[in-house]
Amino acid sequence: MSYLPRKLLQVLGSIFAVATFNFFLFHIIPGDPIRLIARTQKLDPEAVAELRKKFGLDGSIIHQYLVYLKNLAHADLGYSFSLHEGVGSVLLRALGHTALLLTVSTLIVVIIGIAIGVYAGSRQGKKSDSWIVISSLVFWSMPTFWVGMLLVFVFGVWWGGLPISGITTPNAVYSGSLSYMMDIARHLILPTLTLALVDIAFFIMITRTSLIEVMHEDYMLTARGKGLSRKTVVWKHGVRNALLPVMTASALYISALVGGAIQVEVVYSWPGMGLLMYNSVLARDYPVLEACFLVSSIVVLLANFASDVLYRVLDPRVSVAR
Amino acid sequence: MSSPQVLHIPPVKRSMLAQLWNDRMGRVGLLLTTFTLIAAVIGPIIFVFDSGAVGADATTLLMPPTRTHILGTDELGRDVFSQFLSGSRVSLLVGLMATVISTIIGAGVGIAAGFFTGKLDTVLMAVTDFFLVVPAMPLMIAMGAIFGQNLTIIIVIIGLLSWPRTARIVRSQTLSLRERKFVPRARSLGSTNWRIIKVHMIPHVLPLLIANTILVVAGAILSEATLAFIGLGDPNRISWGSMLHFAFASGAVGRGAWWYFMPPGLGILLIVLAFTLVGHAFDKINNPHLGGSS
Amino acid sequence: MVSMTTSGSSINRRSFLRGAAILGVASGVPGLLSACAPPTTNGNGTTPSTLFKVGWKSDIDTLNPFTTVTTEAIEVQSLIYDNLMHYGLDLKAEPGLATQAVASGNTITYTLRDGVTWHDGTPFSADDVVYTIDLIAKNQLGINAQYLVDLTSVEAPDAKTVVATFSRPQAFDPALVIPIVPKHIWSTKTPDDISTFDNAAPVGTGPFTFGSWTKGQNAVVNRNDKWWGTKPAASSVSWTLYTNDDLQAQALKSGEIDIIPQVPPTIFTGLVGTDGIATANLDSFSFHHIGINVSNDGKSKGNPLLLDKSIRQALSCALDRNQVVQIAYAGLAVPAAGLLPPSFGDYYYTPANADVLDNNPDKANALLDSAGYTAKDGDGIRQSKDGKPLSFRILAISTTTVDVRTAQLFVESAAKVGIKLELSTVDSDTMGSTVYNTDGPDWDLFVWGWDSGVNDPDYLLGVPLSSQIGGNNDVFYADKEYDAMYDAQAGELDHAKRVAIVQEMQAKFYSDCAYIIPVYLKKLQAYRTASWSNLQETPGGIIFNFTRDNYLKATPGK
Repeated sequence: MSYLPRKLLQVLGSIFAVATFNFFLFHIIPGDPIRLIARTQKLDPEAVAELRKKFGLDGSIIHQYLVYLKNLAHADLGYSFSLHEGVGSVLLRALGHTALLLTVSTLIVVIIGIAIGVYAGSRQGKKSDSWIVISSLVFWSMPTFWVGMLLVFVFGVWWGGLPISGITTPNAVYSGSLSYMMDIARHLILPTLTLALVDIAFFIMITRTSLIEVMHEDYMLTARGKGLSRKTVVWKHGVRNALLPVMTASALYISALVGGAIQVEVVYSWPGMGLLMYNSVLARDYPVLEACFLVSSIVVLLANFASDVLYRVLDPRVSVAR
Repeated sequence: MSSPQVLHIPPVKRSMLAQLWNDRMGRVGLLLTTFTLIAAVIGPIIFVFDSGAVGADATTLLMPPTRTHILGTDELGRDVFSQFLSGSRVSLLVGLMATVISTIIGAGVGIAAGFFTGKLDTVLMAVTDFFLVVPAMPLMIAMGAIFGQNLTIIIVIIGLLSWPRTARIVRSQTLSLRERKFVPRARSLGSTNWRIIKVHMIPHVLPLLIANTILVVAGAILSEATLAFIGLGDPNRISWGSMLHFAFASGAVGRGAWWYFMPPGLGILLIVLAFTLVGHAFDKINNPHLGGSS
Repeated sequence: MVSMTTSGSSINRRSFLRGAAILGVASGVPGLLSACAPPTTNGNGTTPSTLFKVGWKSDIDTLNPFTTVTTEAIEVQSLIYDNLMHYGLDLKAEPGLATQAVASGNTITYTLRDGVTWHDGTPFSADDVVYTIDLIAKNQLGINAQYLVDLTSVEAPDAKTVVATFSRPQAFDPALVIPIVPKHIWSTKTPDDISTFDNAAPVGTGPFTFGSWTKGQNAVVNRNDKWWGTKPAASSVSWTLYTNDDLQAQALKSGEIDIIPQVPPTIFTGLVGTDGIATANLDSFSFHHIGINVSNDGKSKGNPLLLDKSIRQALSCALDRNQVVQIAYAGLAVPAAGLLPPSFGDYYYTPANADVLDNNPDKANALLDSAGYTAKDGDGIRQSKDGKPLSFRILAISTTTVDVRTAQLFVESAAKVGIKLELSTVDSDTMGSTVYNTDGPDWDLFVWGWDSGVNDPDYLLGVPLSSQIGGNNDVFYADKEYDAMYDAQAGELDHAKRVAIVQEMQAKFYSDCAYIIPVYLKKLQAYRTASWSNLQETPGGIIFNFTRDNYLKATPGK
């Protein structure tokens, strides 16, 4: 089988596996599933029967599993009892807000992280390199939510100049879509900064290591031998080759980023998936939690797939004979 | 039977600490780790935290540092300093115990997959890759919400979800060891699989495993802190994460009660940094051509 | 607003009985109110100063007045819908859609206001009133149905008059709490439809028309310039949802919002003395209590030792109410005894010195010793004569910090007299379904609270009635003597005599210790002094009270 279809099949397999895992995870919850789905005590028998039928609970576990898959296939993720709304529409709204936060912070983290990483890697062993490495490790060791709390304190409480809560200013009246976008941008500053402070370290370290390894490759030494300047060698040959492993690493980073985003959203009340998960934990709203896990897994799986394909397309060692 | 010492793998064991000590970051890491461990073991014995020793009245709540409370009080008027010390134990306990679970699973899966190869390898690696990609934090949160807030459960959840990287690393090391001459030789001399694993594999996987394990501890401490902050900590055991949870929930940030929300965060930062530094120094020792650090 | 308070949000007890209604929604189509409100563009780039901006911590559940249970939703609906009568700022009845209400014997006669129209332009009529009251009474719809249990008929003898007839005289006029809905919109639905209807765009006769509700973010209502009363100065009212009390307080400081109706004690302390912020520490009509499972139904899975009054009294003596006030509430609450907070005036009960069961470990020990719980195990836990340890479970809602803290303090106090309490925290739904599990309540003690929605002792006194088992009665208390006194006070029209009965009831309930009431709450509110003036600090709250008048009478600026 050729590369792309095989890879695609793999991803579909993984998604299927996640869905199955999800099913079993939320079906071993102790207690009557109906109680957990409905969260109320007095159910009239008719309603219970209807619910049992809807979730296939009147049949064997295999039957329940098939019903679950069927509901999934119809994008029916259940009903949120804490929000009085279908889980699908709740999730859809939150997903957009999280996507905005993740896209902006990923761009910043990747661009700045790679730039600093290349700088450090090309000065391996020098003082500036050690400082960058050490401060990266320090930031990487901070809990994201704590960095968020510190920034809330510094910029929200102490100085008071930046918005610390939500995605827009409540009750603001905008003169146009530009001022609306500016408002969102202002609200993005602290959440993004929080994620960036902690996560940039990851890209600095990966880029640096990758660059150092590339610089030791034979063809790099040859290039240096040809009398090309260090700068040219680093930027023209080194970085190009060093970025490939960085890309693979980025895929893994998405998974970590999801964890960071949950914390940032909780601290800044950013109305995305993370805040949704947090609220669902407080309310023990299992259908929402279940869907949040499923959707974030699928997103991460797809991101991995995309990065794999991109890697394949870009890697000179794969596409062009070296 | 030939001695395994002929291998290219450096005989790390003996000089491990010495090599770490020679590395600047490793040294700092070692010192920090030792310091924290001592503080966590001895501190709570000297400064006993009594969770029932609440303040006398409303004026003693969220009180700034004084001579009797050198890090002030929390929202119930309890001493922050002794709470901070006793919190270190819970954070470390979760980090270390979760790592034990994670390492046993990771090493087991990795060695089994790398040594037996074939179908077992395919299956084990499929499972490993699955858990490697699935976003850990949402899964931990979901599991925490389902299985309840209890320290043991939290340890098991974190342990169960942080082994895949270990398994990957151990597997590739095992695979390369398997190619070495001594394995067929040992087999021809009648060694059982178990014996080969015990005598030839485990000792050689160990240096890499230790380096990785130390990084897992750091990750596990951060995971526990995050879970506790989200509100999934054990309500009866105060960790640094749950201190931050209560600080955030009780409005310590808005009131500028830095004595309450700074120490636990700094504590996590220091201990995670300590383990990370040691882990990276190990990496460097195992991987000398990287020079600098990595 | 008759509700069980859970700090930030208030959940009416009935939410736990609403299973069927909720399930109806579940199997139907998911809610429709998911569209984001598009930004309004009027070109001035600032928030208008006539927008009255409220912050809150939990969202509206639904805009349907027949299924709503949260204080938040009732607050919004109170501005969209009018009642026949309303509470004024003095918490006495004032005219609403009815210009007067005359009670005589078993009937109340309402004279309706002229020239009122619904927000959609349809004229308001007596039919709407009859339809609304009849609908609630016949189908026992929503939280106001409890005020219409005695209703025998409601009719409109002419276009301007509605007569409600009850089976006995009513001390409380239900017109004060029932929002009147338009018949032309609702009568097309069956009662089943109504129980699942989301009422996404409510039409009322009230001083404000519905603007928008963005789930998880905010709700807005706009002034109804055709309203029958004095035009409010606020052009709109908005309620913005915050997920963290601290961030909400910062939003008040920065002017993002004008008022916070529910401020937790530690945050309140931090706001006191802040420039430009006024803090209001007001009496409330609420208490939080420790409930004890006294069900003597064989199905109860509660610890049977708690059926022994001496253990319950010992627990009450062990608790230091002042400590709870100081530590759990940062001093911002009142140590409690009886069912009625001081805001109920002469109905308020204070036990005589000899009857006090508070902060008295000696008395607790004496009670336990004389009841025979003298043996102790290795951990100092007392045991009954047949060797059962005095060890009980206690539940609190994890997000209701004050209750968790109260429970923590209680655990420590009880340990000092040899009683072990084991605390677990749960979410509010689980708590509700566990406590109200009439099929065999599997719990020993819990902490939560009650909030009276009316300025009359009747509601709170009615909670522990044996007839309320399966209803409001959360501890399965069943006492014939108490029930008889309740009936007597309900029919007693002489105020002094009623006060005497009410006092006796509270004394009995206090000494029976099915409830250990640590605190009466204070309504802690904070507002910006520069944004609105004329806000009257009324017992029960400036807003989030029985009266909506502060929304109507506030004037912008200092």
